[in-house]
Amino acid sequence: MIDFTDVVKTYPNGTVALNGVNLHINDGEFVFVVGASGAGKTTLMKLLLREEKATSGTITVDDTDLSKLSYFKVPYYRRKLGVVFQDFRLFPKKTAYENVAFAMQVVGTPNKKIKRRVPALLNTVSLGEKANSFPHEMSGGEQQRVALARALANNPKIIIADEPTGNIDPKMSLEIMNLLLKINKLGKTVLVVTHEKDLVDYFQQRVIMIDGGHVSDDRVGGMLE
Amino acid sequence: MKQYRPTYFIGQAFAGIWRNGVMSFASIAVLMSCLVVLGSFSLLVANIDVNLEDLGLMNQIVVFVKKETPEDGIKAMEREIKNIPYVGEVTRVTAEEALEQMKEQAGDEGYLYDMVQDDNPLLDSFILEYVDGSHYSDIMYNLGQLDGVDSIRDQRSLANTMQSLKNGIMLVFSWFLIVLFIVSVFVIINTVKLSVYSRKAEISIMRYVGATGLFIATPFVIEGALIGLTSSMLAFIVEYFLYGYVQNSMGKAIEIIRLIPLSDVSVPVFFAFAAVGVLTGVIGSTISLSKYTRN
Ligand SMILES: Nc1ncnc2c1ncn2[C@@H]1O[C@H](COP(=O)(O)OP(=O)(O)OP(=O)(O)O)[C@@H](O)[C@H]1O
Ligand SMILES: [Mg+2]
Repeated sequence: MIDFTDVVKTYPNGTVALNGVNLHINDGEFVFVVGASGAGKTTLMKLLLREEKATSGTITVDDTDLSKLSYFKVPYYRRKLGVVFQDFRLFPKKTAYENVAFAMQVVGTPNKKIKRRVPALLNTVSLGEKANSFPHEMSGGEQQRVALARALANNPKIIIADEPTGNIDPKMSLEIMNLLLKINKLGKTVLVVTHEKDLVDYFQQRVIMIDGGHVSDDRVGGMLE
Repeated sequence: MKQYRPTYFIGQAFAGIWRNGVMSFASIAVLMSCLVVLGSFSLLVANIDVNLEDLGLMNQIVVFVKKETPEDGIKAMEREIKNIPYVGEVTRVTAEEALEQMKEQAGDEGYLYDMVQDDNPLLDSFILEYVDGSHYSDIMYNLGQLDGVDSIRDQRSLANTMQSLKNGIMLVFSWFLIVLFIVSVFVIINTVKLSVYSRKAEISIMRYVGATGLFIATPFVIEGALIGLTSSMLAFIVEYFLYGYVQNSMGKAIEIIRLIPLSDVSVPVFFAFAAVGVLTGVIGSTISLSKYTRN
């Protein structure tokens, strides 16, 4: 499903963020990506999203070679991925419902389908009651769940979460992780970047450790010290 | 499958104009002023053209015949003039007819010409018209080769003055046009840029969920087009009253100058304004978007 081969990413200012990354992630896997600050985790996600292009090496996602993806095809490629960020990135002036619906409108989903699907998505993340709440009326955990519902809106194959629990208190964090795992059980490939050792240890999933732009460890289980 | 609603784009465009109220207002004011200047120049040039045509100054040459030329000599000259390429209608005016005309023009003082009735100082002449100004020098050369020509007079110099005045105006006009167009596009680029900037977060989310560049850009292009359209409508109203005012005051002051009636120009001016306005808006917004819509 996801293949990185000798991927190097050098930013225009000369910073080498990734320096020869090789990894393979199967369809339907759940993967934690861990590593020190500045190790290159976010860069890895940006390359997957085709927000940045690899300087060298190849990235293949679902049989698409990202370096050969034309400008016009990028939006269609991105519909295969759902993204969640640390800072939620919801529209402050849209309700939970509208935030999720927007992701569907943007890709031209018929209104009828939107009206059926959005309530179902909000129920999946246990926010059926909060459909008409605005982000500022919700807790961090609730906002992140709206963001998750939005990431699922266009039925992507892959979910990418970059420190989804970074702004959320520990109890809520566990809930978000549980939700991501549930999503994985639905058959989606899930990548979660996190710093939370406790959670990683608790869930006992595959852990990819990035260090200095390399994959320094890749195993199932807890986080290395 | 695709169900993009036009109302979404138009609604977003209006929201954008509203959000950047001051900048939108400023760009409408600038673009409107540019259009009024442009329209005024065009109307000025169009009016000079019409008046040049009216006066028929362009296309007439008068050939005077030497005194004492016998009648069959004059007839021969007439035939030869008519044979010169590109010469149109040729009218013969005898010395007597010329004197009559002068008498008539003098009106009450016409009796003064009675004194020279028997010893007419005027010459026979031909008034010849030509169709195409580019053959003027050929015609003049051929006329110079004729026997029996006393002198040749034409109103070329006045026409030339008018023509070069028009050319001067056209030149200034062209420069103005280029400068104003650049200024307008620049102002719109900045307005739309601000509008895009104020929605940066929104645009980045749209990109993450897979919105196409076209989808993201359309509201902003419509915003630019709406600014252009609003400017052109306002410019049209201003131009309409301005031209009406000039026509009123000129019409009374200088009678020989004929102004093209308002009703003849309003439709072309309206559409020209709308086209230039919308085009400027679309070009400006497209340029300012290129950076943001690139993946
Ligand atoms: N746009 C950019 N331009 C230049 N350098 C960048 C850019 N983005 C990231 N970097 C640099 O690349 C390296 C990797 O950054 P990245 O954001 O991938 O780290 P990270 O593992 O996500 O860190 P954190 O855990 O703090 O989020 C860092 O040295 C960072 O300063
Ligand atoms: Mg990061």
